[in-house]
Amino acid sequence: MSKVLCSVATRGRYFTTLPLVLNAIINQTKPVDKLVIFDDNDEPQDMRSQMIYQYFFQMLDIKGIAWEWLYADKKGQHHIHQRANSMGYEWVWRVDDDAIPEPNVLEELYSHVDEFVGAVGGSVLTPPYTPDTSTVTGLIDNIDNEPNIQWGVIKEEKQVEHLHCTFLYRAGVVDYNLGLSRVAHREETIFSYRLHQKDYKILVVPNAVTWHMKNPEGGIRSETKQELYEHDEQIFRNILRYRDKTIVVLNCGLGDHLVFSHVLPSIPNAEVFTCYPEVVPGKSIAEAIHLFGDIDPWNVYKKMDEWKWKDSLENAYRKLYA
Amino acid sequence: MIIISPYSKALLSGKQNPKNYPYWKELIEMIDEPIIQVGIEGEQQLVPDFRKNLPITELRKLIQECRTWISCDSFFQHLGWDEGKKGIVLWGVSDPLIYGHPENNNLLADRKHLAENQFLWWEFVDHRNERFVKPKIVLEHLKE
Repeated sequence: MSKVLCSVATRGRYFTTLPLVLNAIINQTKPVDKLVIFDDNDEPQDMRSQMIYQYFFQMLDIKGIAWEWLYADKKGQHHIHQRANSMGYEWVWRVDDDAIPEPNVLEELYSHVDEFVGAVGGSVLTPPYTPDTSTVTGLIDNIDNEPNIQWGVIKEEKQVEHLHCTFLYRAGVVDYNLGLSRVAHREETIFSYRLHQKDYKILVVPNAVTWHMKNPEGGIRSETKQELYEHDEQIFRNILRYRDKTIVVLNCGLGDHLVFSHVLPSIPNAEVFTCYPEVVPGKSIAEAIHLFGDIDPWNVYKKMDEWKWKDSLENAYRKLYA
Repeated sequence: MIIISPYSKALLSGKQNPKNYPYWKELIEMIDEPIIQVGIEGEQQLVPDFRKNLPITELRKLIQECRTWISCDSFFQHLGWDEGKKGIVLWGVSDPLIYGHPENNNLLADRKHLAENQFLWWEFVDHRNERFVKPKIVLEHLKE
């Protein structure tokens, strides 16, 4: 059975919703293999001195659930999620610090996993708002015209193209967009849509309810600067604009471009951003950064390192753009 | 005529690139045919005919005119391969199975000298002469 890491990013909620979230995670009918709490507070505390947290840590130990409390670097939750995404687990269950899952949620989400599935989400209900989402498509093209399907009670399994807030996902396949601002607006939409673009199924499923106790205080997105949201929204819109293309970013050396030029003919509908247009024609790297915020997901050297690559550079490019 | 491309990209630290072949002078003395060196301004001149900063189209033409070429692991070994002209690549710390092309003649002294991590900056790897094959071996392959 694949290992599941549970990742909780928290800020400003030590004594409000975070304890409820941790208690809910500890009491899942399918225990997580490891729980990591990423503490993004401006003034982090050692929670081992707090009685309620002492109990949580003891409960985790007694249940045999590995856990870790890590101090995050205050760059936003997308950086935190990327850390979890690259911790070597096959699956990551991401849970917000104000989203309280019912005890069966992980078991239910995991029961839908197979080799074709990239992510699974359930209902994320924010009382008293529970719209009827039975006709919602969950397609990216409809994102401006319909509520998120997870906001309502999901009555049957449905394949969608993006998810919201909390879900179980296949780790290490795609990266979070680290070019987003600290508010990380749309980060989960972009991430889950990337999994969809990699041809994995994105599912919403019934009987997996998480209660979203939206708390005006604290929160990983507790920034109010409108320009940060606009910055992230622009990146999201650019990603949508280019969604029918295979984005290629060659922020690398001349030799790498020469090797890649042999791979390019096999890439369908490529939109290339290049350092050496005389070898591989395309737009500039500066434009790629402007459009997509973060070009690290196209760094073939970083990928080869992650993959512990032993094969040729040419085949690494083929894998990256498959 | 053969082309030599002796140097890999200079490191920001000013340290010698660990991919640079250390025995060029000895090798050049043993070669009995015209040699054209290609490279960029600032690199050490090793033969009388040193052509600097050539555009890639000129380099491609030159490759087509040469009998063969010798290069360290730099962009030039990819260019020679791209032009379909077989040459000799002198490896030391980078892995020819990853960065090389089987169509070339890849000379590596021993895989034990390869850098442990092939994907980090070469700044972190020391240059050591013993990582490279001796000129005599290169010459044997050059005569093939």
